[in-house]
Amino acid sequence: MKRIVIVLTAALLSLGLAQGVTIGVLAPLTGGAAGTGQALKAGVDLALAEINAAGGVLGQPLAIVLEDTKADAATGVAAFEKLMTEDGVEFIGGGYSSGVTLALVEPFRTFQPVVLWTGGAVSGIGIDGFDGIEELLGQEDWFFHVHPWDYQNTEASTAFQAYTGVQTVALLHEDSAFGGPGAVGAQALLEEAGMEVLLREAFKSTLSGGTGDFRAAISKAAATGAEMLYWIGYDSDVVPLTSQVRELGYRPQYIFGAPPGWPSEFDAAPEAQCVTGLIGFLPNMPNPEAKQFLDAYVAMHNSQPDNYFAAIGYAMLWAYADAINAAGSTDQAAVIAALEQGTFRSPMGEWGFGPSVQAKHQGFGAEMWNVFQFQNGVRELVWPVERATAPLISCN
Amino acid sequence: MDLSLLPQALVSGVLASGLYALVSVGLALAIGVIGIVNFAHGEFFMVGAFLAYQLFVSFGFDPLLSLLIVAPALAVIGGVIYLSTIRFVLKAPELNQMLLTFGVGIILQNLALVIWGGDPRSIANVPYRSIGYQLGGVSVGMVPLGSFVISVALVAALYWTLARTPLGRAMRAVAQNRVGAGLVGLEVNRVYLVAFALSALLAGMGGVMIAVIQSPTPTVGLAFTLKAFAIVVLAGLGNVRGIVGASLLVAVAESIVATMVPGGDALRNAVFFAIIFLVLIWRSRKVA
Repeated sequence: MKRIVIVLTAALLSLGLAQGVTIGVLAPLTGGAAGTGQALKAGVDLALAEINAAGGVLGQPLAIVLEDTKADAATGVAAFEKLMTEDGVEFIGGGYSSGVTLALVEPFRTFQPVVLWTGGAVSGIGIDGFDGIEELLGQEDWFFHVHPWDYQNTEASTAFQAYTGVQTVALLHEDSAFGGPGAVGAQALLEEAGMEVLLREAFKSTLSGGTGDFRAAISKAAATGAEMLYWIGYDSDVVPLTSQVRELGYRPQYIFGAPPGWPSEFDAAPEAQCVTGLIGFLPNMPNPEAKQFLDAYVAMHNSQPDNYFAAIGYAMLWAYADAINAAGSTDQAAVIAALEQGTFRSPMGEWGFGPSVQAKHQGFGAEMWNVFQFQNGVRELVWPVERATAPLISCN
Repeated sequence: MDLSLLPQALVSGVLASGLYALVSVGLALAIGVIGIVNFAHGEFFMVGAFLAYQLFVSFGFDPLLSLLIVAPALAVIGGVIYLSTIRFVLKAPELNQMLLTFGVGIILQNLALVIWGGDPRSIANVPYRSIGYQLGGVSVGMVPLGSFVISVALVAALYWTLARTPLGRAMRAVAQNRVGAGLVGLEVNRVYLVAFALSALLAGMGGVMIAVIQSPTPTVGLAFTLKAFAIVVLAGLGNVRGIVGASLLVAVAESIVATMVPGGDALRNAVFFAIIFLVLIWRSRKVA
């Protein structure tokens, strides 16, 4: 009898292994943030093809189940619960939008899969009485945060702003969980760095029901005469915001934006000239990993990655594949240990997980960020200076 | 509160009201003449935006020029949708009609997603998009001004058509009494077809204008449809004539609060719906 049980268990285990590992990926494939979600998918697709061409995971082809969150909290929770209950996945990757991530905190705690999360940058660091994703999930053994936290984004932005030498800043931000806490943190860091924030004003993003008329907020910024206009919003806000700044006759020295991505054709638009932005990956980055990623991406998708979430998604899936292979099984504790100890590949260079202010497992930090500037239709790297492909130019 | 910003707020509000009126008047036409609440109205708007984008990408057409192609294209799309779906539910319960138009909207949104993807698109080279005329401390943008003038002209043309042409008289007759209009020899279904096509055309033209202002996405029509529904309610369901005043009221109020109140831009939708609530309460008290 004992022998039968052992044989059956072995058979079941081998059947499980033969089915291969499946990773559930959540991304906003439709809706206003679809540009970022599709970029994430494109990076994941490339990593998946490379992983399987290199022998897969635990000797079997790796599979993914992709679910659309639409960057909507309720849809995101339903999509996650489907992955856990219907698809039976043990590993979750992807993610975008702090609002969706906040809604997923309790469902994550209920199921406790291993999570490699590329979204949800909001942290409560520096904001009294507010707990962000870092505070809510940062101490969970199974939660790994890939994307930098908002204060790390702001840390990089502030370092750039200090580099420009401006003294006064007008800060416009979209009014959801992404822009609100981000702007509070940005103001604190800017003031700490000796700059004066003359205005901090919320606007209704086109992603969350706005009509793209930002003239009210821009008028207030223009009235302050701030040397830098710093805005935190979404991809679809880029065109109306930058064109209305010029239409209203506001001429700050620098226009700095921090959306997750930029519309594909914006590079060629006249209002793009001199606009600067924070970005994790650019096709013209000089490191060899970036060039290798770019070549493979173009070969697969016939276009260049114009949103850094492609690079983040790629890095996330490769980290899973390398960690599970290093663990030698899908045992959760072994995979977590492999994720904690490993170093992984990415278009931005080697990376791994370490502690941040409130979290045990933080992937990329402020060092991931570069500042680029649209100059005559090209995105030139202008900061950090050692990586720059062109000098920074002023808007006036 | 910086009162020096008030003139700019007023100008921005008045200019925004044109587009609001254009989108709302099409919706009011469908409700007033055909008696159908069209939840796909925002998707006609979105299709117009994407067609303008595509004409720019494929042929380099300026969005203003593309109005001449997008307008008839949207009328045809509206007509086909009417003939293939709407006309079959005209006598069905209202809930069925709403569900049908909701479904049509979802299909159009997903078609756009398949064709153009979810990534925000932009008409890159619009040389006049950033131009603003500075008049006594107030900036008048060329795009909002152009959009306002075109919208006002189109709404005025619609009013004239309704008031002075045989087609307009037929539409008003059908709107007042579908059975009576049929009894006196009017081809009711044909009037419905024209009204629905015209409604789609007006939404599509609004979409062309938004393609200049912001990035078309499959969901770009949502914010405007929501406002259009609110304006139609404010004007009185199906009251095409009340649309201009209602649009002006809400656009100016929205702009003043957004500009004069700290953090006011994020309150735009709240202002909008607060006005609707107040008007509805006032109206119900008046009736009582």
